[in-house]
Amino acid sequence: MESGPRYIIQSLAKAVKVIQMYHINHPSARNFYNPLYEKITIYLKDHPVIEYQIDQFIISNRGKAVYKEDEKETSIAFRLFRNGIRNISFISGLSFHELIKFLKIISKISKDEDIALELWEGDFEHINFYVVEEEDEVIDYKVPDFTKMDIDYDAKLREIIARENIDLSIPIKPNLAPDELQTLKNQIAEAEQTSGIPLAITTLISYLNTEKVHEIIDILKELLELCIDNRNFYDAIRIVNKLSEYPDINPVAKFETEPIIIGFKDVINTTHQETFNEFMNFISFFSKKSIPYLVRLMTFAKLKKRLQDLRKAVAYVAQDDPTTLAILLQDQDIDVLVNTIAILGFIKSNETITLLEPLMNHHNAAIRTEIIIVLTELDKAVRIARYLDDDEEIVRIKALQSLTRLKYTVIYYDLLNRIKSKTFRNLDFAEQREYFNCLVANGGHEVITQLRKMLFKWVFFRRKRYSVMRKLSAMALADIGTGHVLDMLRRGAKRRNKSISSACEMALRKK
Amino acid sequence: MSIHKFGTDIIALLYALVKAVQVYDLNNDVVQTAAKKIVYSLKTLLNIYSSVQLVRYMDYVFFNKQRLRFEIDGYASLQFIHDKLKTLGIKSLSFLPGIDKEEMIIFASIFKKKKEEFTNGYSSSGFKRILVEFSTEEDEVPDFLREGERIKRTYFKALKVTRNLMQNLWMNQPIDVKSSRRIIYNLIDSLTQDEFGLLTLTAIKNLDDYTYNHSLNVGILSLALGQRIGLSKKSLAKLGSAGILHDIGKVALPKELIYKSERLTNEEWELLKKHSDYGIKEIVKARGLDETGLISMTIAYQHHWNYNGSGYPIHNKNESPILFSRIVRICDSYDAMTTPRMYQVVPYLPHFALRVMWKLRNVWFDPLLTKVFIQLLGLYPIGSCLELNNGEIALVIRQNQGYSEQPIVKIILDKDEKKVDGKVIDLSMNSGIKVIKPIYAQKYGVNPATYFM
Ligand SMILES: [Fe+2]
Ligand SMILES: [Fe+2]
Repeated sequence: MESGPRYIIQSLAKAVKVIQMYHINHPSARNFYNPLYEKITIYLKDHPVIEYQIDQFIISNRGKAVYKEDEKETSIAFRLFRNGIRNISFISGLSFHELIKFLKIISKISKDEDIALELWEGDFEHINFYVVEEEDEVIDYKVPDFTKMDIDYDAKLREIIARENIDLSIPIKPNLAPDELQTLKNQIAEAEQTSGIPLAITTLISYLNTEKVHEIIDILKELLELCIDNRNFYDAIRIVNKLSEYPDINPVAKFETEPIIIGFKDVINTTHQETFNEFMNFISFFSKKSIPYLVRLMTFAKLKKRLQDLRKAVAYVAQDDPTTLAILLQDQDIDVLVNTIAILGFIKSNETITLLEPLMNHHNAAIRTEIIIVLTELDKAVRIARYLDDDEEIVRIKALQSLTRLKYTVIYYDLLNRIKSKTFRNLDFAEQREYFNCLVANGGHEVITQLRKMLFKWVFFRRKRYSVMRKLSAMALADIGTGHVLDMLRRGAKRRNKSISSACEMALRKK
Repeated sequence: MSIHKFGTDIIALLYALVKAVQVYDLNNDVVQTAAKKIVYSLKTLLNIYSSVQLVRYMDYVFFNKQRLRFEIDGYASLQFIHDKLKTLGIKSLSFLPGIDKEEMIIFASIFKKKKEEFTNGYSSSGFKRILVEFSTEEDEVPDFLREGERIKRTYFKALKVTRNLMQNLWMNQPIDVKSSRRIIYNLIDSLTQDEFGLLTLTAIKNLDDYTYNHSLNVGILSLALGQRIGLSKKSLAKLGSAGILHDIGKVALPKELIYKSERLTNEEWELLKKHSDYGIKEIVKARGLDETGLISMTIAYQHHWNYNGSGYPIHNKNESPILFSRIVRICDSYDAMTTPRMYQVVPYLPHFALRVMWKLRNVWFDPLLTKVFIQLLGLYPIGSCLELNNGEIALVIRQNQGYSEQPIVKIILDKDEKKVDGKVIDLSMNSGIKVIKPIYAQKYGVNPATYFM
C-alpha cells in the first residue's frame, strides 16, 4: 500500500512543509515532490480519482482517516479547512505542472492568502475541490415587503399584450436543430479562446471612433505598456496606430529611452520571426531621438539578416536625413561606427559622403569595408578604386567586388596593368581571382583577347609560376562561358603543354 | 474525470443498454456488448465508491449525490433515464459491488416495461446487486438538496458584495476586489449544485434595491445560460463578473437620474444611455486590467448592442457583439422587463417577457441563445402564477426539463380564490390539468417570495 491514499497525503504534507521551509525550486523540495508526483501517477493508473474529505484536523479517504495533525500551524487539514475547502480530489491525467501549481498555492504561509480563491483561479483541470463559505459573517435577508396596490392587473395584462402585439397562439419551440447546435458550439469554442487584451483594444478604439475621451486614451496607453511587456507588438501597433491620429499624443515617446530600447535585445534574437517582424513595424513609429539607442541595440543582433532589417528600420526612423547620425560617427565603439555607416548606406543622400569623409582612412579595416559598401550603394566607383591599394587584403577584395558590381569600365586598363605587374604574383589567389572577375565585368569584348593571350602565352623554361596566370585566365574565360570561348578552352585542354591543358581542364570542370 | 462526467457516462451506457434490449434478443451481441460496457464502468466506479446510486427528485437526477446537469447536447440519454425513473416511480437505483452482466441484462429487460410490469418483475427477480427504492406519495427532499440555506446565503452575500461595490464606486471609496472575485466562484459552485436554487432567488424582485438586484440577477442568469451552453469554469467566472458589472457605468451618472420615479425626458434618456460608455472606466476602477476586467469592459460597452446591428452606443453595423455580450443582452432585457421599477410598477410577467424576446429573436437577440434561454427557464419560469383549467391558481416551483410548457406547480388558491397550502403537481405527469394562462399573483394579494424564502 506504499502508493495508496494514505501514503500520498502524508507525502504531500511533507512536501508542503519543505516548500515552506525552502522554496519550490530548492533541491530539497524537489526531493519531496518528484516522488510524490510519481506515487500519484502510479495510483491514478488503476484508479480514476483519489478523493479526500477535509475536516478541521483530519483528512480522510473513503471514510477512513489517513492524515491527522492537531497543530494548527503545521496541519494541512486545518489550513485547507480554515479556507473553507471541504473536499479535494486528484483525477487521472494530473500533470506535474498542475501538482506544482497546487503545492505552491497550498504552501503559502501568509494569513491573508485566500487559498480557495487561488485554487479557483488556478483553474485546475485534474484537481477538483469543494468550498463552503465561512459562516461567521452575519447576512440577514428577509422577504421583501409587499403591499397590495390598487391596480387593475387584468387591464395591465391586456395593455401589455396590446402594446407588444403578443399573439398567444404562436407556439414556441425552443429546441435547437442539429445545424443550429453546431453553429452554437462553434461560437462557444471561439468564445473560449477570447483573449482580453485584443478584445479590449477593439472596444476602446471603437469608443474613440465616436468620441475623444482622455480616460479611454489613458487606458489604451496602459494597455500599450502591457503589450510591450508581453512582447505583443501586433496589438501594440494597433494602439499606436489609433493614438497617432491625435497630434497632441505621442504614444511611443515613453519607450524611447535607453534602458527600454536596450531591453529589447531578447526580441531581436527571438526564435519567433513574426514577433521580430512586428517589432520592426513597431519601431518604425519611433522618433529620431531613439536612433542612438537603436544603434546600440543592434550590437546584440546575432543574425545577419535581422541586423540588416534593423539598420533599414533605423534608416527609416532617420527619415532620409543623415545628419541625425552624425553624432554617432564620433563614437569610439567600432560596432556602433560600423552600424552607423551601414545605416547611412540605406539613406541615399549626397551629404553622406561629406559625413563619411573623415572616416575614409579609418585605421580599422571593418570600418573601411563598411564604407566601401556604402560607396557602392551610392555608386561612387572613383572613391572605391582608391581602396585597391589598401593595406588590408579584406578591404581590397571588398573594393574589387564592388567595382565588379558597379561596372566601372574606366578602370579596365588600370586593372590589366596591375595584373601584368610583377607584384601581382605576390597576392593571394582569392584576391587575384577577384581581379580577374573585375576585369571581366569591366572589360567588354577586348577582354577575351587579353585572357586568351595570357592563357596560351609561350614562356621559356616552362616557368612554373606562370601556371597561376593560366589558371586564372582559364577560369575567367569559363565564367564568360560563351560557346566560342568554351570551344577555345576545349581545344586548349588538348594541348601538349601540360600547364595550359591542365588549366583548361580545370576551368571546364569547374564550369 | 469529474463525478459529473462519470454520471453522464453511466447514464449514456444505461440508455444504450435499455435501447438495445428494446430492439434485440437478450442473447444478441449488441445487448451483450452494451451490458459488458456498463458493467465494466460500474466496476471501475465501485473501486472508488462503495456504491453507485442514481437518485431522482423532481426533475433532478443525482449521481452519487452530484446533480447531473442538462446540457445542450447529449441530454437525450439523461432525459430518457429521468423520464423512465419518473414513470416507473423509482426514487433511487443503486448498483452494488459484485454486479455482473447477467443481472444487468435482466434488469434492463424489465426496466424497458410499463410501471406495473416493472414493479412485479423487480420483486420476483430477486436482484442482489441492483437495488430499487420506489417513490412514495410524499417523498422527502434528499439531504443533499437541502442546500437551500447555503444558496440563499450565497445569493444575499453576493447582493451585499454587489451593493458595496457600486456604492463605493459611487462615493469614490476604495474597492474590495477580493470579495467580488470570490463571490463569483461561490455563485458558480452553487449553480453547479442546483441552478434552480439561484434562479428562484432571481425571481424575487426587490423594488428598493433595483440597481443592485438587477446587476446580480443579470450575473446569475448569465452564469446559468453560460453553464447550460457548456462554457468552462474559467469563462463562466469572466461572464459572471461581466454580468454583474454590466450596468456599472450608472455610478458615473447622477443618483437622481437613476432613481427618478417619473418617465425620463429625452435628454435624460440620452444621458442614461451613456452608462454603456462610462462602464469602461468604472470597470478599470473596480477590477483593473486583468482578463476579467478587460472582457467585462467590452461586455459593458456592448450590452445594448442588438443582434441586427442596431442599439447604442452607435457602432459600425458589421461590428457584432461577442457571444458573452449577446448572453448578457438577453439576461439584461429579461430581468429588466420582469422587474418592477419606480416608473413601471407593474412589470411584464416572465411568460410575456419571453414571448416578446421570442418575437425579437434575430432582431434584438441572438436566436440560438434565445432558444437555450427559454429551455433553461421554461415558458412559465419559476415564480410564475398560473390559472389552471380546474379553476385553481398555482405557482411554478420547478422546471421540467424538456417540457417547457409543463412545469411543476404548487396550488396556492382553490377554486374559490381562497388561499390554500395546496398540492404539488407535476403538469407533465398529469394529463388532466392544463395551464389556461399566466396571471399576476399580486391580483390575489399573493407574494410569491414567501413561498421561496
Ligand atoms: Fe444597461
Ligand atoms: Fe441592465
